Amino acid sequence: MRKLTPRSVLLGLAAPVGALVFAAVVSAIILAVTGHAPTDAVDAMARAAERPRTLVNAVNSATYYYLAAVAVAIGFRMKLFNIGVDGQYRLAALLSAALAGAAFMEQLPSFLRITVTIVVAMLVGAAWAGLAALLKVTRGVSEVISTIMLNAVATYLVSYLNRPERLAVSTAGSNNIGTPKITEGGQVAGFTVEGSSSKLFGLIFLAAAVGVLYWFVLSRTRFGFELKATGLSESAAVASGVNVKKMVVLSMLLSGAVAGLVGMPQLLGSSYSYSLDFPAGLGFIGIAVALLGRNHPIGMAIAALLWGFLANTANSFDTSGIPREIVDIMQGVIVLSVVVAYELVRRYRVRAEQHAVGGALGRTKTLEEVSS
Amino acid sequence: MSTEPPAAVELTGITKRFPGVIANSDVNITVRAGTVHAIVGENGAGKSTLMKILYGMQPPDEGTIAVNGAPVSFGSPADAIRAGIGMVHQHFMLADNLTVLENVVLGSEPRKGVALDFAAARAKIRDISDAYGLGVHPDRLVDDLGVGERQRVEILKVLYRGARVLILDEPTAVLVPQEVDELFGNLRELKAEGLTILFISHKLDEVLSVADDITVIRRGTTVASVSPSDVTARELAELMVGSALPVPELRDSTVTAKPVLTVKNLTVTGADGRLVLDDISFTIHAGEVLGIAGVEGNGQAELVEALMGIHAPNAGRVTLGDRAGNQRDITRASTRHRREAGMGYIPEDRHRQGVLLEASLWENRVLGHQTRPPNNRGPLLDRKGAKADTRRIVSEYDVRTPSIEVNASALSGGNQQKLIVGREMSGRPVVLLASHPTRGVDVGAQAAIWDHIRRARAQELAVLLISADLDELIGMSDTLAVILRGRFVAEYDPRTVTPEQLGSAMTGAGKEG
Amino acid sequence: MRRTRGVRLAAALLALGIGLAGCGAKNNDTGSGGGTPTSGAPAAGLKIGLAYDIGGRGDQSFNDSAARGLDKAKTEFGLDVKELEATAGETEAQKEDRLRQLVEGGYTTVVAVGFAYAEAIGKVAKDSPEVKFAIIDDFTDGVDTGANIANLTFAEQEGSFLVGVAAALKSKTGNVGFVGGVNTPLIQKFEVGYTAGVKAVKADATVQVKYLTQPPDFTGFNDPAKGETAAKGMFDAGADVVYAAAGGSGNGVFKTAKANSKWGIGVDSDQYNQPALAEVKDVIITSMIKEVDVAVYDFISSVKNGSFKAGQKVYDLKAGGIDYATSGGKIDDIKAKIDEYKAKIVSGEIKVADKK
Repeated sequence: MRKLTPRSVLLGLAAPVGALVFAAVVSAIILAVTGHAPTDAVDAMARAAERPRTLVNAVNSATYYYLAAVAVAIGFRMKLFNIGVDGQYRLAALLSAALAGAAFMEQLPSFLRITVTIVVAMLVGAAWAGLAALLKVTRGVSEVISTIMLNAVATYLVSYLNRPERLAVSTAGSNNIGTPKITEGGQVAGFTVEGSSSKLFGLIFLAAAVGVLYWFVLSRTRFGFELKATGLSESAAVASGVNVKKMVVLSMLLSGAVAGLVGMPQLLGSSYSYSLDFPAGLGFIGIAVALLGRNHPIGMAIAALLWGFLANTANSFDTSGIPREIVDIMQGVIVLSVVVAYELVRRYRVRAEQHAVGGALGRTKTLEEVSS
Repeated sequence: MSTEPPAAVELTGITKRFPGVIANSDVNITVRAGTVHAIVGENGAGKSTLMKILYGMQPPDEGTIAVNGAPVSFGSPADAIRAGIGMVHQHFMLADNLTVLENVVLGSEPRKGVALDFAAARAKIRDISDAYGLGVHPDRLVDDLGVGERQRVEILKVLYRGARVLILDEPTAVLVPQEVDELFGNLRELKAEGLTILFISHKLDEVLSVADDITVIRRGTTVASVSPSDVTARELAELMVGSALPVPELRDSTVTAKPVLTVKNLTVTGADGRLVLDDISFTIHAGEVLGIAGVEGNGQAELVEALMGIHAPNAGRVTLGDRAGNQRDITRASTRHRREAGMGYIPEDRHRQGVLLEASLWENRVLGHQTRPPNNRGPLLDRKGAKADTRRIVSEYDVRTPSIEVNASALSGGNQQKLIVGREMSGRPVVLLASHPTRGVDVGAQAAIWDHIRRARAQELAVLLISADLDELIGMSDTLAVILRGRFVAEYDPRTVTPEQLGSAMTGAGKEG
Repeated sequence: MRRTRGVRLAAALLALGIGLAGCGAKNNDTGSGGGTPTSGAPAAGLKIGLAYDIGGRGDQSFNDSAARGLDKAKTEFGLDVKELEATAGETEAQKEDRLRQLVEGGYTTVVAVGFAYAEAIGKVAKDSPEVKFAIIDDFTDGVDTGANIANLTFAEQEGSFLVGVAAALKSKTGNVGFVGGVNTPLIQKFEVGYTAGVKAVKADATVQVKYLTQPPDFTGFNDPAKGETAAKGMFDAGADVVYAAAGGSGNGVFKTAKANSKWGIGVDSDQYNQPALAEVKDVIITSMIKEVDVAVYDFISSVKNGSFKAGQKVYDLKAGGIDYATSGGKIDDIKAKIDEYKAKIVSGEIKVADKK
């Protein structure tokens, strides 16, 4: 049934391709209506795609988009909406940056120092998400509400901690403020790419490993099965011996731990400090990417790359005199149309499946056959 | 006949093909206005497809539909509702956490200006409920209702929308005899008001007692149109399947002295503080089937859930004996522990507790057995093992499916049930809690399921059997208990008891046990 | 997971492929021509690229001020100009890319508006020694310093001190307010100077302080509704003058001031004369003027006439570039008193701290 037949391939392609084409058409119409030539936009994207630096930046962006998407997807698998990835990664990035930048850390060997930084980030992310899980299992507070609120709390907490009298250092003449710069031993070296001034994040391998682990845990382990079962039907999961509260806590902790990783490629590969200009809003992009990639490890990777590429073509649009906001419009339309397209394809599949079952029912066994 | 008004519904030459299969072929049915018209047939005979066509969910490839003499063409259920046709589905489509009122008005909200006029809706629901004796209280939460009451809400919902032709899909599958009588009373009142009922069933006695006309469908086509006065149940059954009906019976007693499931003074309080299980005690021995008779909503669901560890009891003790005879107190054990200790569970509502509709058959095989071979190796899933065992179940239990990779939602209710029974009988359970194990399955499969239970019983399986089908209860049980308002009120020997005796004990009219 | 992983992979690859293939086909058209600038007057030797902070041209505040300077230079010198904008939440790599695109487009004079460009400008300037750069609001040794970078910074605390003096002198209740857009070190400079100015006049005066948002939420610079709520709270608590160091959110502060018959103080430009604020201008008693436009214009003309100087250029009271406004005549009565303080700051007799 789910073998790779030409029809199933076409069916699989229908939703994402259809949505992309639709988004392209909508964007072209908007450009045309606002007096811009859609062909200029294509030119701008072409120029961006030609430029190694933009491609490297796109892949780098995709790295943390992907991590954010995986964090969101872990919750999505059991219908748990961790809207709080945003707060979790920012708090985790700040605290781990402060630790990694602290003077005493310099005595540690590089590998250990990086590992400690990453583990602390995961722990902080998990702890922050764990609060929402705790509220849900003990008080029945919807995780949607609590994680949104915890985002706001995280914002204030980060802002409170990111002061010279606490975790930050202020540099004379600078209007920025952030944690002490992580010295070389705590940094993760990037890969130089020919023709690009930006380096590819070394932690791209971390993102890939997280993707593989995500795939493995969800499709190959009992835990993953129970996660899926809980998401599909909580009552059936309970009747099947799944401890739903435990699953809520575990999946929130896992989701938060991965959320804690979101800031790491940027922190250890480029910024080396958590400061005012540390990228924000990645948690929300993660939701879009997870939706687009249907929580699938490879689907999300492709969605993250697409997102990263679009985000990094904004400058090229700007240079060509095309409003950079067209990127937001494209991203928005893609998400909306992909959701609709997936639903249409899903319905079509269900019908096709029922027809197939109808085929199997075509012959009714006689009573003798059944009881023999 | 010639003076009668035009037929309420007339289906002529209806044919529906799915790729590679014909679901309906030249179906002709004439439903006279103001009658109860039964459509009988085995599962998979094409009844459901036919009703979907009539209800506008699928267009026919050929043929015509006429309502009150006028040809119609339905693009969606909304069209059918506008034409006065309403459907009560086998699986209820009610939102648990809304009240009856809210469920009924959902989608056709009453308006007064721009505001919702709930007062008017409430009054209208009361009127309908009273007029047909449905006994539905608009402000109760659906979550608190038993299966029987939910069905009446479904019927009311359809009436509320102004249906003049009601399609009832296997309505009695979920009811006890007294409730069936009530339902039939309702149907007669509806009929007297000039409404027309299309009644889909495979319970032939009921069909014979309530229907004015009967159409038999086999393999997608109408094989006979008969009047109930002209046929016996047996003849009707033979028209349906072309062979004799299976009979539920246990030949020799296999009851041993080895207690397997011992329940002492089990007490459970409901959400509203009311006692739903009051001091229940019983013991089921290896090789014994304990049947529990009772009107739906008298504590059966709570009993089963307490035994499975889904809801903790307020008081009492539950002990489980293993094959070696060692007794373990499992009163506080988790559902997983109980399952691992060999408790199988066939739930009353399979969509709520039995299957994952959006997961494949083999994943459904794993469900509830994810911690045991052949489904796992330590913390890992054994996909190969699970798939192989699913194929075994599919063939042993005659689950009709093209593949074990299809989603459970693609299967008919009966085939889902067969998969569940097959799954729960896997791995030699020591005790099986079976709520309505043959509900909604066709006669062939019913026989097969009974046979599987009998064989497992012979190998020392202890069974708690809850059923609304009194013939099944009497035929399959070694011991029979009657539950009423959360208490065991009577015990019978199934060899001597009659359905009537059981029925009156179930409603509290009989002797107190 | 079960749903044909391969199919989805193929789908998305194809999807990307379609996009990239479309791009590839177009490459031939533009490959030889290179990046063709689409706006700007005929090149008169000087090509100016300007990278805005979040909000860009039209933010009624900081970025607009830079834009005014650019416009003035453009009309005067007839420049080829390219303006690019930042996106909220973007990374330093994207800022760097923006500057690099300007350089690659042949813009030999590049202005970066806002401290967020510090790291980026440092890197790009190092790789492009032939290009002259300017960054506004930042001078961090070793980060954005170099032989081809001018660091244009402002002593906002000094101007804020003077409007603090005005607030204290005008207040009848001895209770004044400060509404900051976003809680960053830059805006804290405004707060610190303002509070010092108030206290210099009335040591026992109350200064209510409220920041509209916390980073990384920068909406506080452009959310009049938040400004309105914050100011309302301050007026209710007894304040009668509120200093709005909050960009576009100041509009809300002034609206509330007008509704409550209280006073407001503007920021960055002489807000009394801003067309967008015409309706509420009579409550604006003064504004702290930060002449970003002057700084941008000065920088461009220095490049134009060959007098470019790298390093920090401080715009303070003494050098001009920071001042207070008198439009509307609401503070004519106390002007002499304010000028007294101004003279003391210029002479160095009063030193206004820029940090708490």
